[in-house]
Amino acid sequence: MSPDLLILAASEEKSGLFLILPDPAELVWGAVSFVVIVFLIWKFAMPALDRTLEARRSAVVSQLEEAEQAKGAAERLRDTRQQELDQAAQEADRILDAARSDAESLRQEAVDRAAAEAAQITERARAEAANEHARVREEARREITVISLDIAEKVVGSQIDSSAHQTLVDDYIRELERETAE
Amino acid sequence: MRFPIVAQVVEVPSDVNVLFDWPDVLPLGINRVVLLMFLATAATFLFLYLPVRKARVVPTKMGVVVESLVDFVRNGIARDTIGSQSAKYEWLLIPMFFWILFLNLFEVTPLINFPVTSRMAIPAFLAVLVWVVFVFVGLRKHGLSYIKNSLIPPGVPKALLILVIPIELISTFLIRPISLAVRLFANMIAGHIMLTVFFLTSASYFVLEPKAVAFVIPLAFAIVITGFEIFVAVLQAFIFTLLTAVYIESSIHVEH
Amino acid sequence: MEADAAALIGAGLAYGLAAIGPGVGIGIVVGNAVQAMVRQPEMAGQVRTTMFLGIAFTEALALFGLLLFFILFGAGG
Repeated sequence: MSPDLLILAASEEKSGLFLILPDPAELVWGAVSFVVIVFLIWKFAMPALDRTLEARRSAVVSQLEEAEQAKGAAERLRDTRQQELDQAAQEADRILDAARSDAESLRQEAVDRAAAEAAQITERARAEAANEHARVREEARREITVISLDIAEKVVGSQIDSSAHQTLVDDYIRELERETAE
Repeated sequence: MRFPIVAQVVEVPSDVNVLFDWPDVLPLGINRVVLLMFLATAATFLFLYLPVRKARVVPTKMGVVVESLVDFVRNGIARDTIGSQSAKYEWLLIPMFFWILFLNLFEVTPLINFPVTSRMAIPAFLAVLVWVVFVFVGLRKHGLSYIKNSLIPPGVPKALLILVIPIELISTFLIRPISLAVRLFANMIAGHIMLTVFFLTSASYFVLEPKAVAFVIPLAFAIVITGFEIFVAVLQAFIFTLLTAVYIESSIHVEH
Repeated sequence: MEADAAALIGAGLAYGLAAIGPGVGIGIVVGNAVQAMVRQPEMAGQVRTTMFLGIAFTEALALFGLLLFFILFGAGG
C-alpha cells in the first residue's frame, strides 16, 4: 500500500470496516426491493397459489361427489336390475307352476278318461258277456226243451202237448237253478 | 501483486479497496449491486408467480416445485417452529426465504457470478427488520414484561443478575441481529472469494501454460466448490428464515 | 509499513484462531446429531433442523473472525 493511499485512508477514516458496512444506497434500494417483493408476492403470487390449491381441492371434492353420485346411480341401477331379475324369476316360477299344474290336470284328465274308458269297456264287455250268457242259456233251455220233448216223444211215444211239456221242463230247470244257486 | 500468477493475466488493481468501490451506473446510487438486487427481486416474483398463474388442477413441473417450496416454508419452517399462529408471520418468512435464495444463487449463476448478499446491505436490512419484528411481537404480546422476562432468566440468583442482565441484553438484542446479518453475509462472501480464487487461478494457469494441464486442479476444485456453494446458498436462506422464525417464537413464548 | 504488516498478520491470526473453536464446536454438534439420528431415525428430520441451527450459531463465531480478517486486511492492504 502506497503511503499516499494510507494517508487517504487515514484521512477519510477508511479502515477495513467499510468492507463490511452496508452501502447506504444499497441499503435503501434493498429495503425498497424487499417491500416490492413482499407486495408482489402477497398481491399476486400467493393468491395465485391459493387459487391453484383451491382449484385442486374443489376439483378433488367435485370428483369425489361425482364418484359418489355415480356410485348412487349404479346402486339404483343395480337395484332396478335386481328387481327386474326378481320379477323375471317370479314370472318364470309362475309360468312353470302354471305349466306344471296344466300338465298335472292334463295328465289327471287323461288318466280319468282312460279309467272311464276302461270302466266303460269293462262294463260293455260285462254286459255283452251277460247278454251272451242269457242268450246262450235261453238257447240252451230252448234246445233242452226241444231235445227233452224229442226224447219224451220218443220215450212216451206219444205226442204230449207241447205247452204242458214246456211247463214241465221249466219247472225242472228252475229246480236245477235253485240247487246250483244254493 | 498479491496473487502473482493471476496478476500476469488479470489486471489486479494496486489497491484492494478498488475492488469494493462500486461505481454508479445510474443515478440515485444505482450500481451493479442494486441492479442485481432488482433482477433478483423480479426473478423471485416470476419464479413464484408464473408457474401458478393459471389455477391448474394438474400442476406443471415448476408448479410442483413452487408449491412444495412454499409448503416447506409455510409448514417446515414457520409452523413447525412458531406453532399454530405461524400464519401471521408468513408475510415476512415466505418472501424472505425466496428473496435470499435468489440473491444467494446469483453466486453460481453463470454471467452474474455475484451473490448480492455478499454485500452487507441486504443482510443488514433484513436483520434489522427481523429485530424490529421480534421485539414488536414480544412487546405487543407481553407488554413491558417481555423485556423483563427476556433479560431475567427464571431461577437465577439475585446476586448474579448484575452479570446476567447485560449478557442477556447483549445476546438477545445485539448479537442476534448482528450474527444473523453476519452469518449470511460472511458465508456468501467466503464462498464468493473461494470461487473467485479457484476460477481465476485456473484461468491464469490456462492462459500462461495451457499444455501443463495444471489448470485442471483448481478447475476441479472450483467445480466441486460450485456444487457446495449451491448447497450453502440454499442452506443460508433456510437458516436465515428458520432463525427469524425461532426469534419470533421466542418472543411469543418468552416465559421459559 | 510495520503497521500494515502487523495488520495483515493480525488478519491471518484473527481468522485462524477464530476458526478453531467453531471447528471443534461444529464437530461436536454434528457428531452428536448423527448419534441422535442413528439412535432415533424417526426423529431424524427434527434433529437435522436443530443440527443446522446449532451449526449456524456456532459458525457465527468463525464468521465474526472472518469479518475481523476483512477489517484488518482492509486496514493493512
